[in-house]
Amino acid sequence: MTLQQKHNITVLGAGPAIIFAHGFGCDQNMWRYMVPAFTGSHTVILYDLLGSGKSDLSAYDRSRYGTLHGHADDLLQIVREVAQGPVTVVGHSVSATIALLATNRAPELFSSQVMVGPSACYINDPEDGYRGGFTRADIEDLLDTMESNYLGWSSAMAPQIMGAPDRPDLREELTNSFCRTDPEIAKHFARVTFLSDHRADLAQSRLPTLILQCTDDFVAPVEVGEYIHRAIPGSEYVLIENTGHCPHLSAPDASVNAIRRFVGGRA
Amino acid sequence: MDQHAVPAPDAAWLRAPCGLLIASSSGLIERVNDTFCNWLGYRRDELEGRERFVDLMPMGARLFHLTHWLPLLQMQGSIAEVQLDLVHRDGHRVPMLLNALRREADGSFTDEIGAMVATDRKKYERELINARQRAETAEAGQRGLNEALAREDRRKDEFIATLAHELRNPLAPFANVLEVLRQRPDDAALWHWGQDVLQRQLDQLTHLVDDLLEVSRISQGKLELRREVLDLAPLLTNVAESVTPATAAAGQTLSTVLPERTLLVDGDRTRLTQIVCNLLTNASKFTPEGGAVTLSAKVDAGCAVIEVADTGAGIPPEHLERIFDMFSQLTPPLERSTGGLGIGLALVKGLTELHGGAVSARSAGLGHGSVFQVRLPLAEPAGAAASPAEPAGQVAAPRRQGWRLLVIDDNVDAAETLVMALELLGHTVRSAHTGSAGLAAMEQFRPDCALVDIGLPDIDGYELARRTRAAPWSTGIAMIAVTGWGQETDKQAAAQAGFDAHFTKPIDFNRLDAAIGEMLGR
Repeated sequence: MTLQQKHNITVLGAGPAIIFAHGFGCDQNMWRYMVPAFTGSHTVILYDLLGSGKSDLSAYDRSRYGTLHGHADDLLQIVREVAQGPVTVVGHSVSATIALLATNRAPELFSSQVMVGPSACYINDPEDGYRGGFTRADIEDLLDTMESNYLGWSSAMAPQIMGAPDRPDLREELTNSFCRTDPEIAKHFARVTFLSDHRADLAQSRLPTLILQCTDDFVAPVEVGEYIHRAIPGSEYVLIENTGHCPHLSAPDASVNAIRRFVGGRA
Repeated sequence: MDQHAVPAPDAAWLRAPCGLLIASSSGLIERVNDTFCNWLGYRRDELEGRERFVDLMPMGARLFHLTHWLPLLQMQGSIAEVQLDLVHRDGHRVPMLLNALRREADGSFTDEIGAMVATDRKKYERELINARQRAETAEAGQRGLNEALAREDRRKDEFIATLAHELRNPLAPFANVLEVLRQRPDDAALWHWGQDVLQRQLDQLTHLVDDLLEVSRISQGKLELRREVLDLAPLLTNVAESVTPATAAAGQTLSTVLPERTLLVDGDRTRLTQIVCNLLTNASKFTPEGGAVTLSAKVDAGCAVIEVADTGAGIPPEHLERIFDMFSQLTPPLERSTGGLGIGLALVKGLTELHGGAVSARSAGLGHGSVFQVRLPLAEPAGAAASPAEPAGQVAAPRRQGWRLLVIDDNVDAAETLVMALELLGHTVRSAHTGSAGLAAMEQFRPDCALVDIGLPDIDGYELARRTRAAPWSTGIAMIAVTGWGQETDKQAAAQAGFDAHFTKPIDFNRLDAAIGEMLGR
């Protein structure tokens, strides 16, 4: 199996390289509304985290992916093998942290990083007043919810025909299953994601960094975005008017503009 | 379709048998039906324009909503059969099965959501999940068991291959001797030579089979020790002396280092002899010509410690632990030059443990010799010196009294050679090769003693014995069962069938003669 197959790598367009890393839950399709804005000017690299989407599920090794460093190693390998020249990495949610670990490890491979809806630690830390937004019990509750949707996995997560005659593109999408993966892997990845704490890694970053923070994001609240902005030296912080955790889906234009300004300003 | 037959849309929507709600793009509940409100304990005006759909969810469902529900709805426009808990006004959770459809118009959208209570379905599915987990756990256990069995099976296969090789070893000299005697039937010197060869090979075979049976008896807990408090030192000296001719023939020196004091242990003299003899023979076998074997004993921490050291092949460290296992062997049969199955060592281990002791081996690796150690708990010195002299050797001189003997065995060669040997010993012997022929011969010939093989083709030896014992003329006939199986159960079965004694093949003629004399009281 090639690296391309292992991570379902897609390369589009030409120009300086920009790699998009999706967050917890779905796969590289999450970037679909933003990618067209970059293919004219950039080489766009998309991939699925191992264990997600169409990646090679058989290669999911619980000890390797027992921390986010396993995913960071994968990102470095993909950048080394697929990209030319220094790369801009755009990571959503947990992949913002994965990208942070990768860029800290090999800053020479990267020109800048964009963190979309990042959180360095999802669990509250009463000892030093950090509010990530969740308790361990909340995460257990999420795992339980995922378990509840296990038996209906294929039908719950794969779209169903529900009419919508005004959406001719739906037919093609119905065959996709953006959020489907092995339920056991999904639960393991959820645990690793939501119980990780990489606050100490923020200050190590020396890369030009843009933080895209949504105004109303339950998963990554404004307080957390500001914390990260303060912790990463010289980082830029842009607040996007958006409800939810996926500005790249629900506010793609604002997200594209902020990233283009950041990347263009650096070019 | 008749439009008038359809209830007013609003009333039907409000009373639909499923929960329905419409949420704005901000997630705020704009309309909700009575069914949904009743399930969650709210009034419509408490939800409409006030609460967001996500506000009705517990934390886990909210996370799932953000990471799965919303992205799918945004990309697909719809989502179906998602199970989430919603929270009732009084705080308890209501499992729900949810569908949602996003309707877009004029650059904005609303989400239409349908909900069904799924309490029973969730319980049922929990049961399925639990059952699956139990099945997986059981399967993992079964897999582990199967692997262990397969491993054991492989070792037994290897063991049987080695055993076959070991049993075949003496066959070649048998065949060779026979061929030589066929060519030169009248050469008396060759006869003697052939006799020696056959005797040696027979001893080796017998020894191998005896060891096998004993290990088997130990592992089945059937071997009992005849214990007495005895001094190890003279016992060790005796064993060393008995092995010296063999080590000398192999060009090795055998030395003993024994303490001045007595080494009292509570043990079975015969078995302890067997332990040390096996270790010495083993050491000699793996030591080249010119090498040295040392037998030593000392006291250490309340134990008598016997060590057999050699300057031979040594043992690789990875094999040290397994070397006492029944099925262990260091190399595949064909690579072996000296043979040996590790049965001897398994026997040493079993016998030592029966004595409450422990065995171990150490070696600096291949080519660096080995040391085998046996630790036995020291016995309290008995009040009286408890070391009776060895019973005098009881070699029974064959009494050529001329018994009338009947040999019944379906292996014609075995029967006729036994007949020949018994005749040479001075008896009058007949033979039969089936059970029924045997029974007939029994009645006609009326032997003093019948030697009966158990595995006969028509009626087996036990049945033959029962029928014989049922006949009035059988009182003066001693019957001996002759089998390949020396287990206690075989002896019991023979006794129950009416046999007076049980002999294991091959027959020890001295014992046979003595036993017949004893049975017939002559």
